[in-house]
Amino acid sequence: MNGTWEGMVLNEFVYNIAIWLDDTQWSTLLHESYYMYAWVESTHVLTLMVSLGMLFLIDLRMLGYALPDVPASKLAERLNIPMLIGFTVMFITGILLFYAIPVRTTQSLWFRIKMVLLVACAINAYLFHKRMNESVSSWDNEPRAPSRIRMGALLSLGFWSIIVICGRFIAYDWFDCRPDSAGFIAVLSGCIDGQTRF
Amino acid sequence: MSENTTVKDDETKKNDDQTAALIVAQTFIAFSAIYWFLQIESVRELLQLAYG
Amino acid sequence: MPVSFFSAYSRTIAASAVIVLSIWVFYGGLSAAVYPGLLGFFEWSETTWFGVIGKTWGAAFAFIEAIHLIALAVLGGSIIASDGRVLGLVLTDVSARTVIDRTHTLFAWSLAVLLFTGVFMACGVATKIYYLQVFWFKMLALGAGMLFHYFIRKPLYQYDLSELNPVVVKMTAVSSLLVWFLVAAAGRWIGYSG
Repeated sequence: MNGTWEGMVLNEFVYNIAIWLDDTQWSTLLHESYYMYAWVESTHVLTLMVSLGMLFLIDLRMLGYALPDVPASKLAERLNIPMLIGFTVMFITGILLFYAIPVRTTQSLWFRIKMVLLVACAINAYLFHKRMNESVSSWDNEPRAPSRIRMGALLSLGFWSIIVICGRFIAYDWFDCRPDSAGFIAVLSGCIDGQTRF
Repeated sequence: MSENTTVKDDETKKNDDQTAALIVAQTFIAFSAIYWFLQIESVRELLQLAYG
Repeated sequence: MPVSFFSAYSRTIAASAVIVLSIWVFYGGLSAAVYPGLLGFFEWSETTWFGVIGKTWGAAFAFIEAIHLIALAVLGGSIIASDGRVLGLVLTDVSARTVIDRTHTLFAWSLAVLLFTGVFMACGVATKIYYLQVFWFKMLALGAGMLFHYFIRKPLYQYDLSELNPVVVKMTAVSSLLVWFLVAAAGRWIGYSG
């Protein structure tokens, strides 16, 4: 079913880790809890207002749409701490959500896209800060940042928007692995021939 | 005279805006406190019923 | 010029009246009287274009839900930045006036997107949410939030904040954060109900 031997090994490896997590008592307790799972998920979603709220303000500032008369470096620096607090909460609650339903999540196409984009966002954020710190003194008070920085801000907005969309899509079972799963989507989702746990 | 009236009107308006804000803010804060207390309490009670 | 009590405290009286009326409508007998009559409207909204698309095309519904969340992030960002600034928590070395004025446009745009996507989603599941108490609670909180934002917070923040009573200003900022958080939380809870 899988395209390459390496892909098959990797998918079996993450599937086995997911099974191991799924068999732990806390995973079951969290998944089957009356309210805890909903509280964790709500916290994950609502913390968007802090993490992405701050990040989007910084990105929109670079594009000239938000707080154009506040120096760009000052805004980025001052909003960094609340943003990181938000992302820390999202990261912890995100791990818990994964831990509660590990097998299905591991084999979710949307979750996989989301994880790839998270890595892309991290690289983009690193490059964005590097470029900003190198050149900010020359354009700090301009309402719009130079095109290279604007490109980074646009990528950040785009990637994170797709991450939110993928996050929402994880809840839907359109492409879930099933005993008869086959084809391109099944390969991307990492469905395994003869898998017994879903 | 007219200048005095304007000053007084501005001051009255500010006073009105502040009083309105105070009343609404008090209501929201009190409502939120009661609402979240009841929410958390109901969850706690249900969990106690479920798990003892 | 002597000013009558009513005109001197017109906003205070109007705000108090709205609070009393809202509590009466929501928790008093009026909602029970109006409620049955609204079912027809909710049934009709499921037959509109929005309703038909939302109900039959799951991917479109989920996509609009995600746009709703992205707009929520922007709204949250504008509220946290401006009220956080008023409370002295963020951007303390930028003038409060600048932060309040510049974030207001973002707030208005994100609210517009939230309302549009929200109406779309509501149409798709209209006959389900009609029976959910949490949906009506969210509508109450949303109405309260919007009225508060435009008729209480905005006029108050237009003054030089240093000339106002600091307790009132801080309570307004806390209320603003609380009410939008409540709206968002109630919105998430709609998804768990029914």
